[in-house]
Amino acid sequence: MSTVTGAATVTAKAAASPPRRRQHPTKQGEGRFGFMMIGLAVLFVAVFTAIPIVASFLLSFSSWDVISPPEFVGLKNYQELLADGPVLKSFGVTIGMALAIVVLQLLVGLVLAVLVNQRKMIWLRTIFRTAFYLPLLASTAAVSIFMGYLFDYQFGVVNYYLGLVGIPAVPWLNSPFGAATTIVLITVWQQAGFTFVLFVAALMAVPTDVLEASQIDGASSLSSLLRIKIPLISPTILFAAVVAMINAMQLFDQPYIMTKGGPGTATTTVTIAMYQKGFQNLEFGYGSAIAIGLLVIILAITGLQFLAARKVVFYQ
Amino acid sequence: MTHPQPALFGRRTLLKGAAGLGLAGLLGAATACGGDGSGGGSSSKTLKMLYFGEQSAATELQNRLQPAITKLDPTIKFEIAAINGTDWNDFLAKVLTQVAAGTPPDIISVATEGLQLMAQKELAVPLDDYVTKDMADLKESYFADVHPALVESMMYEGHLWELPDSFNAGNMFYNTGLFEKAGVDAPAEGWTIDDFENAASKVANIKGINGFGWVVRLWGSWTSFMYANNANLLEEGKYDGGDWLWNSAYAGDPAAAGRKGGWKWGAPTANSPGTVEALDYMIQLNKKGLSPKPDVGGGGTLQGLFASNRLGMAIGGGFWAGGLTNAGMKKGSFDVQLFPKWQSQRHLFGAGGYAIFKSSQKKDLAWETLKQLVKPETFDIVFPGNVTTPGRKSLMTAERYAKTGPKNWSVFYDTLTKHPDTMPIPAPPYYNAMATALNQRTTQAMSSGDAKAALDGLQSDLEKAAS
Repeated sequence: MSTVTGAATVTAKAAASPPRRRQHPTKQGEGRFGFMMIGLAVLFVAVFTAIPIVASFLLSFSSWDVISPPEFVGLKNYQELLADGPVLKSFGVTIGMALAIVVLQLLVGLVLAVLVNQRKMIWLRTIFRTAFYLPLLASTAAVSIFMGYLFDYQFGVVNYYLGLVGIPAVPWLNSPFGAATTIVLITVWQQAGFTFVLFVAALMAVPTDVLEASQIDGASSLSSLLRIKIPLISPTILFAAVVAMINAMQLFDQPYIMTKGGPGTATTTVTIAMYQKGFQNLEFGYGSAIAIGLLVIILAITGLQFLAARKVVFYQ
Repeated sequence: MTHPQPALFGRRTLLKGAAGLGLAGLLGAATACGGDGSGGGSSSKTLKMLYFGEQSAATELQNRLQPAITKLDPTIKFEIAAINGTDWNDFLAKVLTQVAAGTPPDIISVATEGLQLMAQKELAVPLDDYVTKDMADLKESYFADVHPALVESMMYEGHLWELPDSFNAGNMFYNTGLFEKAGVDAPAEGWTIDDFENAASKVANIKGINGFGWVVRLWGSWTSFMYANNANLLEEGKYDGGDWLWNSAYAGDPAAAGRKGGWKWGAPTANSPGTVEALDYMIQLNKKGLSPKPDVGGGGTLQGLFASNRLGMAIGGGFWAGGLTNAGMKKGSFDVQLFPKWQSQRHLFGAGGYAIFKSSQKKDLAWETLKQLVKPETFDIVFPGNVTTPGRKSLMTAERYAKTGPKNWSVFYDTLTKHPDTMPIPAPPYYNAMATALNQRTTQAMSSGDAKAALDGLQSDLEKAAS
C-alpha cells in the first residue's frame, strides 16, 4: 500500500511540476564549447580593448612619465589639450586627411567594383579582384618605406621619370600640401581593395530581375547604376564608410614613416601627436587625454554617419 | 518551434565573470605600469644589459664577456638585449617602455642624448663611489686614455653617471672622386665656410650631383653650422662640482682645465640671431641648388646617397668610416676633414657609454662588468668595423683605418685634442621633447623658407618643454 501511495505521490509531483527535459549530451557539449568560444572573445576584447580604454581613461587624469608613480591631476590634461595649438591642429589635419581618404577610397572602390562587375568572364573578375586586393595584404610599414623612396624629391623614381619627360621634380613629401596629398593617395591605393571587395560582393547580390526590369524600361547603364545599384548597395557603402573613417582617423604608419609628421606639422596626425607626447616626451597622462579625445571624435563622427544614413541608406 | 537551450551559466554569472576578468586585468595593468622603476631589476641569476644596435653584435659581446663574469660570479648569466631604432629618441622610448613593463636592465648603454634624462630621473646610480674606490687602477688603465671632454659629457650635477667608450664628432666627409672631377682641392684643416660653399658649388655643377647633404636631427645636422656660428639652442653652462674626479683622475692634464660637473643647459636660445643665421644658411644652400631638402631620421638615406656618389660632402663622424665601407665605398673614395670655420671652428659631438640602473640588485657585479666593457680589447667586439669612434686615444691607429679609410682618420680625435671648444650636443633632461620639436621646426623652415618663424616656434616649444 505504502509503495502504491509513494508511487502515486511521485506521479502526482511529476504531474504538478513541468517536465524537466534532459539535455542531450552532445548539445550540452556544444553549449559549453560555444560559451568557451564566447568567453575567449570576451577575454580578448577585455584585455586588448576594454581594459586599455579604461586604463587610458584613468591615466588621462594623471601625470605619469613611466619612471615616477602616476600623480592625479584631475582635468589638467584636458585643459592643456584644449589650449594646445599644435595638438588641436593635428585633429584638424587628421579629420581633413581622413575625409579625403574615405571619399576617395569609396569612389575608387566603387568605380573599380562596377567595372569589374561588368566583366562577364569569371576568370578576369578573379584576376582583377586579386590584383586590387593585393596592396591591402602588404605590410603598411613596408609599403610606407617603399613609397618614401619612390616619392623622394631627390632620388625618387617618380621624379626621375617625370624628369625624363621634362617635368620638374615635385616635392611630394617636402611641401605641406604635397606631403598630405601623397600620403592620402598612397593610403587610398593601399586601402581601396577593402571597399572594392565589399562593393563587388554587394553588386553581385543585386537582384537581376530588378536590373532586367530597368533595362526593359529603357534605363541607361549610368541611370541603372545611380538609381538602382547604388541605392541597393547603400547599406554596404555605409558599412565601408564607417570602417574606412575609423581606420583613417587612426592614420599613423604612413605619415610617421614617410614624413615623421612633417614638413613642420603638416602631416602630424592625432596618433602621431599622441605617440610623441606619450612615448617620446614621456607625458603618458597627456597622451592618454589625446587618445580619449580621438576616441570621442571618432564616436561622434560615426554617430553622424549613422544619423545621415537614415536618410540615404536603403534597406530592402 | 524551437526551445531555448537551458543556460549553462546565468546572465549574472557571466556578468560577474566579466567584471572579475576586467578587474584582474586592470590590477595586472596597474601592477605593470605603476612601478617606479626602483623595484625589479633582472632576475637574480641574470645580469641584463640593454644595448642600442644589432643583436648579432650584442650576442657576440655577451658570449665574449661571459667567462669574465663567470669568474666574478659563477652563477650569473650575462644577457644583452639589443634594441633597434632609427635614433636615440627611438631607443630611449623603447627602454622606458621596458622600465614601465617592470623589466628594467642592470646595465644600459646610453649616449649623450639620454644621459641627463636618465640622471635627472634617477634611473641610474652615480659612479662616483665606484670610481673613487678603483681610482688607483682606473687612472692609468682608463682615464689616461680617454679625453676629459668625453668624461665631462657623462657628468650631471657634479656626478659621473657613465663610463664613456665611444664618441662621434661632426666632421665633414667628402667624396674624393667628385672633388677631383669638379676640380676642387682636398680641404685643408683650417678651411672656412666660404671654402665649403665654393667646393659645394663646383661639385653641384656636375649633373645630378648635390654639393652637400644633411639630415634633420640634433647631432651633425644644421646644428653643426650653428655650433660653428657660435650659437646654440640652449644657454651653455656647467654644473659646479666634479673636482673629486678632475683632481685625481686628470691631475695636471691641461685638457682637463676648466672642466666641471657636467653641462648645464639653460634657457632656450633657439631664435637667437646666430641660430637663425645658421638655419637660414641651410635654406639658402637649398635655394642655390647646392643641397637637397633633408630627410628626418638616422641618416641611413644620407649615407646611401653619399656612397652612391650623389653627394659631394656630408657631416659625419668616425661611424661613417665603417658605414660607408659597409655601403660599398672603397678606401680612398672618401676622406674627412674638420668642420669648416665660420665664426669659430667649434665642433659638436655625442658620446656613448655605460651606466648602472638604479633598480639593479647586482650593482657591484654591474660595476665590474662596466670596467670590462670599457677595456680596449672589448671595443671591437661591441663596435666591429669602425662603426663609431673609440673613446680611447690608444685605439686610434693607422692600423684601425687601414682597411676602411679615411686617409685623414686622425681628424676624429684631433677634434677633441686640437679644438678645446668642441662640446657635446645640447641634450637636457627634456631631450625627447626637444628632438621632436627640432625635427618639426626644421622641416617647417625648409619647406616654408622662413627660418626665423620656424625658430620662433621652436623657442616657444622649448620654453614649454623646459617648464
